[in-house]
Amino acid sequence: MKLSKFGIVAVLFASAVGLSACTAKNDASGSGKDTVNMWVHYSKEDPEGKAMKQNINAFNKENKQGYTAKVQYIPRSGSGGGYEDKINAALNSNTLPDVLTLDGPNTAAYANSKIIQPVGKYIKNKDDILQSIRDQGTFNNKLYAIGYSESGVGIYYNKKMFSAAGIQESELPTLEKPWTWDEFMDISKRLKQKYNAPAIDMQLSDHSEMSIYSLAPFMWSAGGNVTNSKGTKAVGYFNSDETNSAFQFIQNMVKNGYTTISPKQKGFQTGKYAMMLSGSWTIQELDNQYKDIDYGILPYPVSPKTKKLVSPTGSWQYAMSSSTKAPKAAGALINFLVAKKQMYRTDMSNTVLPARKSVSELMKKKVNAPMQFLIDQNQKSGHARPVLVNYPQVSRTFAETVTKATYYKENPDIAKLMKKQAQDIQQYLK
Amino acid sequence: MKSITSAKSNQAWIYLFPALLLLTLFLFIPALMSIYYSLTDYNMLAPQARLFIGLKNYLTLFKDPIFLKSVRNVAQFVIFVMPLQVGVALGLALIVNKKRPGNTFFKISFFAPVVVSLVVTSVLWLYILNPEQGLLNGVLNQLGLPSQPLLTSPKQAMFAIIGLSAWQGAGYQMLIFLAGLQNIPNEIYEAATLDGAGKWEKFRHITLPMLKPTSLMILTTTFIDAFKLIVQPMVMTQGGPMDSTITPVYYIYRTGFTDRQLGYASAMTIVYGVAIILFTVIQRKVTGAGGDNDDR
Repeated sequence: MKLSKFGIVAVLFASAVGLSACTAKNDASGSGKDTVNMWVHYSKEDPEGKAMKQNINAFNKENKQGYTAKVQYIPRSGSGGGYEDKINAALNSNTLPDVLTLDGPNTAAYANSKIIQPVGKYIKNKDDILQSIRDQGTFNNKLYAIGYSESGVGIYYNKKMFSAAGIQESELPTLEKPWTWDEFMDISKRLKQKYNAPAIDMQLSDHSEMSIYSLAPFMWSAGGNVTNSKGTKAVGYFNSDETNSAFQFIQNMVKNGYTTISPKQKGFQTGKYAMMLSGSWTIQELDNQYKDIDYGILPYPVSPKTKKLVSPTGSWQYAMSSSTKAPKAAGALINFLVAKKQMYRTDMSNTVLPARKSVSELMKKKVNAPMQFLIDQNQKSGHARPVLVNYPQVSRTFAETVTKATYYKENPDIAKLMKKQAQDIQQYLK
Repeated sequence: MKSITSAKSNQAWIYLFPALLLLTLFLFIPALMSIYYSLTDYNMLAPQARLFIGLKNYLTLFKDPIFLKSVRNVAQFVIFVMPLQVGVALGLALIVNKKRPGNTFFKISFFAPVVVSLVVTSVLWLYILNPEQGLLNGVLNQLGLPSQPLLTSPKQAMFAIIGLSAWQGAGYQMLIFLAGLQNIPNEIYEAATLDGAGKWEKFRHITLPMLKPTSLMILTTTFIDAFKLIVQPMVMTQGGPMDSTITPVYYIYRTGFTDRQLGYASAMTIVYGVAIILFTVIQRKVTGAGGDNDDR
């Protein structure tokens, strides 16, 4: 009799599994050479989503080859899941769309796993696209992804607090004549003495990817790097004298009390700190919620040896899946979406930094002074993040290195620390 | 007679079916798949390209300094949070068990942290524990004590997490203790009073022994839950400073979903899962649970 019990269960099982398999049929793959399916990581209701809808309508109307594009909006959830979960599931079932969006740091991993294919030959007017955007999408000398917007970071400063501390307008740095680390520390010292508080929130309590994104420019300014240009060696690069000097600078900032590893929440926004290192997104926050803070943005401090201005960049991009059956249509869609008119519409909708020189000129006429400054700094000094297959591990080791450098009592010897950290990064390189 | 029982048991299988189906789909099959994946170099971005690599992942993990560190961290967490949380829960249960005015208010207050999402709790505690403007250091300063680095100190961070976790979780165990307390017949206490027993004697010889089954259940569930610590370090410290609050579950999550090394993450899951099962069995043997009657 036992057999029949299992028989019942087995039959029920088989039918249930069969049912679930039926409903899990893929909904993504293209239905022909002329139809392009695309996945994006934001919702239809976002400003970005609304701009995308307009762009897609324009593409479907204007292209002369008879291509049709369809978009599926898959918002990212809080921790960045949602969209990425969907991509990962699609990888398993081989149901990726023809075109997808991906974050800058994913370029190398996606290209290395042959999920996406080069798109360079489909993109027109490439010289107009910012170098940082081209670098971000390039892996093994081929352009795999193309960014449609940029991001940037600057030193926000409180104008009233600066003048009350006796810092003259004429002492402030400009893009043409940025401040060196020494000059930056001198001003920090005066602010610290005046307000008896750290001069700047450098977001050192953020141990996420923000760390490499916002602090690596100090290293690049000094002429240092995480790895060699092929991305195969970290020892000798991440612990070069140049890289070490940047981490020494960060350590000195903490050691002197000019910045802190545990900043007060919204310290700059509420007038407790005179400066903050932050991205373009903070402009909207300040303009909407902290209207009484009179602020401006100053350029990145530079290495006193090189005096080379370098600033962070990077954002989401478009790429074409390797599995697409409609490469020409997909290429035409990507080219259309990153063309001047469409990029302008997307970037203005969201007030983000543009990825083309021509769009930068157009946008500068429409945005406020802090935003104009970041657009200028981006064009002049933007540097893409390292394009590495194991970027998550490398960026985390970078953040860990920053943390360790800021614990100056435990790690007084920067050269010794960097040697160990370079070896840690080395294990993640291929 | 035989056919009736078999008809009954056929019926039982039908009732069991939904639970079995769900368990199979979401527990047994994934567990079996994890065992298989743990023997491969499965990278999330290249599912088709995975290779069978035997026990390599297992050999790596016993030499992985972060994994070993995470095990030490969670051991520290379990050792401190268990007595703290269970002790606080029992204390609170004893307080609210007496009938006095305002009791409901206290019950709700003690239980409230359980209802709030752990992520929200963690964010709130970030404010309380902020070394420069947090409530806790404010109180310390008022008492004439120096400010503490708390979450920014590799030595203190885990203790801060232990404290808030005990506060957050104790309300739930309080309720279960309360149910246990209310199950103790009043006559026993009355008899003890007649025999001249004091408060402490009654607690020691009546309350504690009568609570044994409840306590064992609470100890076991708290123990298993404590090993699964992930949300607090994820939200509050990202495992830092210097890996002082990274836990195995968090490390497994990070390896699998941030670093995309599903093969290696699976191997860690298997080892960790087996270890927890072993520990639970040992714990139940030592505390005398697992008998015929109090096995619940």
